[in-house]
Amino acid sequence: MHKFQKSALYRIASRSLRLPLALVIGGLALSGCRMGATDAATRGQEVFETCVPCHNSDGSGNAAVGAPNIAGMKAWYVEREVDKFRAGVRGMHFNDVEGMRMRPMVLSLASEEDVKAVAHYVETLPPVPHGSSFPGDPKAGAALYATCGACHGDTGAGNQDLGAPRIAGVDDWYLATELRKFRSGVRGTNPKDREGRLMRPMARTLANEDAIRNVVAYVETLKP
Amino acid sequence: MLERYLTAASTYAHWIDYQFLLIAVLVGFWLIVAEGMMFWLIFKFRARDGRATQYITGEETHLKRWITIPHILVILCDIVIIVPAILVWYNIKQVMPPADETVRVIGQQWAWSFQQAGPDGVMDTADDIRTVGELHVKVNTTYHFELMSRDVVHSFAVPSFRLKQDALPGRTISGWFRPNRVGSYDIQCTQMCGIGHGLMAGRIIVETPQDHAAWLLHNSTPAVAGQQALPSPSTVGMDGLATMAEVRR
Repeated sequence: MHKFQKSALYRIASRSLRLPLALVIGGLALSGCRMGATDAATRGQEVFETCVPCHNSDGSGNAAVGAPNIAGMKAWYVEREVDKFRAGVRGMHFNDVEGMRMRPMVLSLASEEDVKAVAHYVETLPPVPHGSSFPGDPKAGAALYATCGACHGDTGAGNQDLGAPRIAGVDDWYLATELRKFRSGVRGTNPKDREGRLMRPMARTLANEDAIRNVVAYVETLKP
Repeated sequence: MLERYLTAASTYAHWIDYQFLLIAVLVGFWLIVAEGMMFWLIFKFRARDGRATQYITGEETHLKRWITIPHILVILCDIVIIVPAILVWYNIKQVMPPADETVRVIGQQWAWSFQQAGPDGVMDTADDIRTVGELHVKVNTTYHFELMSRDVVHSFAVPSFRLKQDALPGRTISGWFRPNRVGSYDIQCTQMCGIGHGLMAGRIIVETPQDHAAWLLHNSTPAVAGQQALPSPSTVGMDGLATMAEVRR
């Protein structure tokens, strides 16, 4: 045995460091593990941290980065769209700038349970109303809305049976952006996007930019 | 040697590997010599009973020699590194061999998208193929790329090609590569570009000429192309990139 290993310092150090070393190594090993006892609501809030940088902690969104206001959105709709992003049904079009930004973020969600948990958490967030961001003629838009109302309802509350989300209370810039995407084929052309393919011909009934602005201006008058 | 750990799939990958190896060997040699010398001196001149500490100014010629000789040798090694480094830089970054094909590579938060000519072989026409996250190229073909960014600074990196080039918003940066091995290789963003930076990945698929022709034909059919691109060819090119401002108008 080496002289150093016989020394008192070595004996003391080897005994007293055993427990701290074991704790440090064990702690490092467990730090990558998720706690299993977390309930769905808490888990939803935890997972939502992934969304906060763009959608804000209250879910109110950020127009500067194209992140819509999602506070209070129905869980079934959030879950469905997140699943579409995960499957590459959305966010894979060459010109879908915001969709391509969203897709990697949802791919970071670890499991279906996390998707459900975060969707339910989003539904619990109190709606955050925003004002209009561009002018439009709600009266002219009311006539155009008849097509939308067939699925989204007269009050814009949406219809789960038809797969149509609530649009009342949704930011006008987001509605207009998505309508343009549907019209141009950036959304609603993927064969697996059942609801999107239904939406696209409806959006194409809007003849021009004025029609989009007017119908969105009308939707902004609907109370969520 | 590096190929043992990371596939080399482009014609200039081995130039980069040789350069890395040269740097690693020369710098590694001096690291070992310097550290060995330091620890040997620490051991040799350790404190001992009855031996007084010497005060050494290092001004005498026989002492200065310990600095000047290694210094000259290190400078010589620097020259041995720099000369081939300039040659590699010149041949990869300064000289563009004639292109067989051209692809447009567009970075955005947090995805790579690509545009290349369809079966007509001409870019910016209606049959162009636009893809997201996946670039298909033909083996043993020289590609020029036009690199753009839709938002912030990104870096287009294909480790197996030993290719890395920053993408700057508002600029079109040209470069080239010639894949020489069929396979599927990683594309990474190697410039911090936001919270999704670590998820900004893609694949580059190097195909045989037959497979690539079949892929081109399949993806330029109207049904498939319609899922990828706006119907108007005016959407291509930097001016036509669908930035958020354009989409929101």
